[in-house]
Order: sequence, then structure tokens, then C-alpha cells
Amino acid sequence: MVTQEELIREARENGMELLPLEKDTYELFFGPQHMATENYSLILKMDGHRVVKAIANPGFLHRGFEKLAEYRPWHTNIALLLRICVPEPDVPEAIYSMAVDELMGWEVPERAQWIRTTVLEMARVSAYLFWMMGLSFKLGVYTAGQWAAAYRERFMALFEELTGARVYHIYTIPGGVRRDIPGDKWLRQLRDTVEYIKDKLKDFDNLVFENYITYRRLEGIGVMDKKFALNEGVTGPNLRATGVPYDVRRADPYLLYPELDFEVPVLKEGDALARALVRRFEFEQDLYILEQLLDMGPPSGPYKVDHPSLKALPRFRVPAGDAFAHVEATKGDFGAYVVSDGGNKPYRVQIRGPSIAHGIRVIEQLLVGARLADVPVILMSLDNCPPDIDR
Amino acid sequence: MKMESVKIAPEEKVRKKPSFLKPWMSLKYLFKKPVTIKIPYEETQIAEKYRGFHTLNWKTCIGCNMCGQICPARAIEMTWIEGEKRPHPKIDYGRCTFCQFCVDVCPTNALGHVEHYILTTEWKDEELELFDWVPLPEEMVRKFSDYRHPLAKIEKYEDGRVKYVLRDGSEFEFKILGYGLKPPAAAKPKPAAKSAEKKEEPNPGEKKE
Repeated sequence: MVTQEELIREARENGMELLPLEKDTYELFFGPQHMATENYSLILKMDGHRVVKAIANPGFLHRGFEKLAEYRPWHTNIALLLRICVPEPDVPEAIYSMAVDELMGWEVPERAQWIRTTVLEMARVSAYLFWMMGLSFKLGVYTAGQWAAAYRERFMALFEELTGARVYHIYTIPGGVRRDIPGDKWLRQLRDTVEYIKDKLKDFDNLVFENYITYRRLEGIGVMDKKFALNEGVTGPNLRATGVPYDVRRADPYLLYPELDFEVPVLKEGDALARALVRRFEFEQDLYILEQLLDMGPPSGPYKVDHPSLKALPRFRVPAGDAFAHVEATKGDFGAYVVSDGGNKPYRVQIRGPSIAHGIRVIEQLLVGARLADVPVILMSLDNCPPDIDR
Repeated sequence: MKMESVKIAPEEKVRKKPSFLKPWMSLKYLFKKPVTIKIPYEETQIAEKYRGFHTLNWKTCIGCNMCGQICPARAIEMTWIEGEKRPHPKIDYGRCTFCQFCVDVCPTNALGHVEHYILTTEWKDEELELFDWVPLPEEMVRKFSDYRHPLAKIEKYEDGRVKYVLRDGSEFEFKILGYGLKPPAAAKPKPAAKSAEKKEEPNPGEKKE
């Protein structure tokens, strides 16, 4: 008869980890097929319907982005790196392009800056709609989830018109953007869409954010305090919900954000409800920013740097050096550190994703003591991007 | 970090009040039409410059392999065709990510794209082969307005001849001599050309430095 200790030791020798069985708990594999986890998995140790211990089990979407990026020409990497965050693919594109711009010493034309800012804000709005869909589904308010999916479709149509693709836009490139705005008709459509969504936000408020059931479900679960959040490198709305007014758009302004007016929401509780309310307010602010951008109007001029090296992209070379650029995504602080050795491929691309901070250590802590029914809600209130955790 | 410049939203604006009655207001949507589009009974409008299948102007293609070098998925293979001085790209839609960087880099604008995008098949082998083709000129692809692939059938013969049968019945025939960057000896069949291509593939970017 093999004892438990022997089995554990044998597993460890073979590079695996076996968890000892306990009398009162059972092990539950949560994901990756579970709809709430989105290709991300958790191993939960349960006592009845309470979580005793949660172990993150990521890696189902590992594609080795950072290593792959070292083997591809500079522009080609954009078609790869945007897959790090599917709901808002413009963010990895933008950070990579901004870092390469810095290495090249390029001042991006004003029109390109306007387009980049607009695209980033549109990505934020559509990502928040995606999140609203997820949260509503996990709360059981399927109606609101279907609405969010339908309204996101309007932004996808706008992206399709502007960039030529619906989900993977591959639009922002070093030196500017790939295409010009299709015309005034597109701007009018964008304004109409913003007005429309603003109008529909009231319905979301009625059904989700002012719903008594939502408060009963979200209040007091997944609580993190300020100190813990700062220690674990939590950023974005999750950090703002614990009382830290940190927003990259204000702390380290980029593109046109210094000229734009918006408010940063801060709440102190740090529970799932605070995170949801912070996100809801930011969604409103993003629509307001888009309105300001449309009032400003796109400046005239080129939409791309006029440089001879952009004519032959496979031979595009970047001078040796390193650069870091980061933007505020809906998930948090998204950054890219790019090192060049002067060749036609990057020497190293390091992505600082927000979800890796939220998705492994933080979620393991927050889930302790939670009910099984709250696990998807806590996961969704953190708004993780599984490809970013696995990378 | 310049904390002073951050405009913090007043807390009462961020907070909402829970309500019993407000969720019921959503019932008004019971009396409205659904937003769903019933595909395939209803048609969707695709954007004008949607990144779909490629087109190739065979007269202006100079076979520079820029498209093959920039392709992130390595979906492009240069193909030597009888009667053409320079090789033409062959695109494998099993790998293509539709990023259309190849269209951007084309120095003579020979490679282009149309908004046709439908990749669905009935999962038959001969249908899957359609999606690995040397793109045809734009006017031949644009004839079909239902966003599907223009080819109905690819007939391959042993001597390297290939016949593209379009969906309207018209035919397009040419002979493939070999693949790769170096011109194949016309007498030698494919295997010799393939080994030449294998040597070059690991570092296509460094060739022209």
C-alpha cells in the first residue's frame, strides 16, 4: 500500500504537484470549459459551497507572444501582439506602436494622434460593453447581456468601416495609422452611436446598476483593501475601487488626453460592487470623451509619418535602444517595453499586462471564503483577459 | 505622479441607489422589434474596404517577395508560372490572418483585396483546396457579389498544369513550374525546386540586407 506522502513525493520528483486529500473538503475543477472563466481555469478546494482554497490553473492560451515577437519583422508583430487582449485589441497595438515611435524619434502627426485616441476610446467603450455582457450573464440578468452584445455590434460596424476588420483591427502601426478616416459620414455615424448608447445607458442602470438584486449579489464579496491592492500591482478600475486615484491617462498623459476633460471615479470599499460602479462611471466618461473628440474634430494633415523606411516594411529598421509606453486599458495599466538592437526584428518585447496581476495571486486571495455561486461574479468583477494571463 | 491634476469624480455621482421598481421598466422592450439579423435569410452589408480575399494583377506583379517577407503567418509562397517572367504569390487561406500587410507593402500595387470574406465550406477536400490559390485579377473576383470565394473547382494535372474553374463556369489555366524564390529549372519537376525553397525559408528577412 502506497502512502499519501509517498505519492506526493513521487509526483514532486516528476515535476507535478499533488494536493493532499482532506476529510472535509473536496476538489472542484472550475473551468476551462466553464463559461464564466473564458479559457482560464481554477482548482477550488471546497467545503460545502464555500471555497477554502483557490489555485489558479492558467496556461490554456499560452502562445509565447513575447518570444515569437523576437522572430518577426517590426510591423508583422502588430498582427501578433493584438491577440493578447481580444476585447480591446487596439491597446496592445497602440502601446507597441508608441514604443517604436519613441525609438524612431518620430513625432506622430496630429491627425494620427486624434485617430489613435478615438480608436482607443472606442475600444474602451466596446470592451466595457463586453464586460457588461459578461457581468449581466453571470448575475443572471440575461436581458442586459443581450443588449450589451447588440450595442457592441454598432461599434464593431464602425471599426469595420474604419479599419477593415471587426475584431482584430491591425490598425495602429508605428508612425501613425494604416488608413485615413473614411469621411464625414463615419464621424456622423460615430456621433449617432455615442448618442444612442448614452440614451441606452439608462436602461442598463435600471436593469443592472440600480437593481436591488445586483446589490445583494455584489455587495461585500471579493473585498480587497488598498494596501493589498498596491502590493499585488493591481491597476485600473480594480485599484480605483479601493481608493487610489491612479489613472495612466492622468498620471502619465499620452496622445490627446491632456486636452480632454474627464473625471476619475474613486470608491473606497474595494468589493465587487465598487468595481462594477467604477467601471460603469468610466463607461459614461468614455462616451463623454468621445463626444469631446468629435467636437474637436480630426485635425487636417497626414495620418502617417512620411518616412522612406515605411515604403519597404520588411526592411524597416529601428535604431538600437529601448522604450516603454503604457496606456490605460479597461483592465488596467497596459504597457510594452521594447528593446531594439538595430535590426529588422525586435530584440525583446516585454508586455506588462494588467490581468496577470489580477488573475493569479489576487484571485487566489479574493476567492477564499466565497460561495461557489459568487466565484464567476468575482472573476468577472476583476475583468480579466485570459490570453494576457497566459501570454 | 501628479495627483493634484486628477479630477476625482464626486462620490455621489459614482454611486447608485438600489431600487425594486426600476428593473421592471425594462419590460417595455417586450413590445419592440428584435435587433437580430436572420442570416442567411437577411443580408448584411459589408464595409467597402473590408479586408477579404486577395486579388492580383498578373501583369504588374514583379515577384519581389515583399509580401512573403512581411506575412505574419507565412501564408505566402512564391510560385513560378509558365509564361511569366517573375514568380507570383500563392496564398494559403488556412494560414492567412487577413491583416493585409502584403497589400500595403506591394511596391507596384499589384496585390489588392476585395471585401469578399466567406470561408465556409462543406468540409470536402476538393473544397478546401480552393483556399490555396494564386489570386486572380480584380475584375474576375468582383464578378460575384455574394462575398464567397470566386472559384468553384481547381483541377490539377500531373504535368503541373492547373485549371481554375470560376463559379460562373469560365476557366483559367496555367502551368506551375515550381515554388520558391529561385527560378526552377524548367525541365526538373517539383522536388528539386522544393529543396531550394527549404534552404531559404528560415531567414527570408535577411536575404536582401
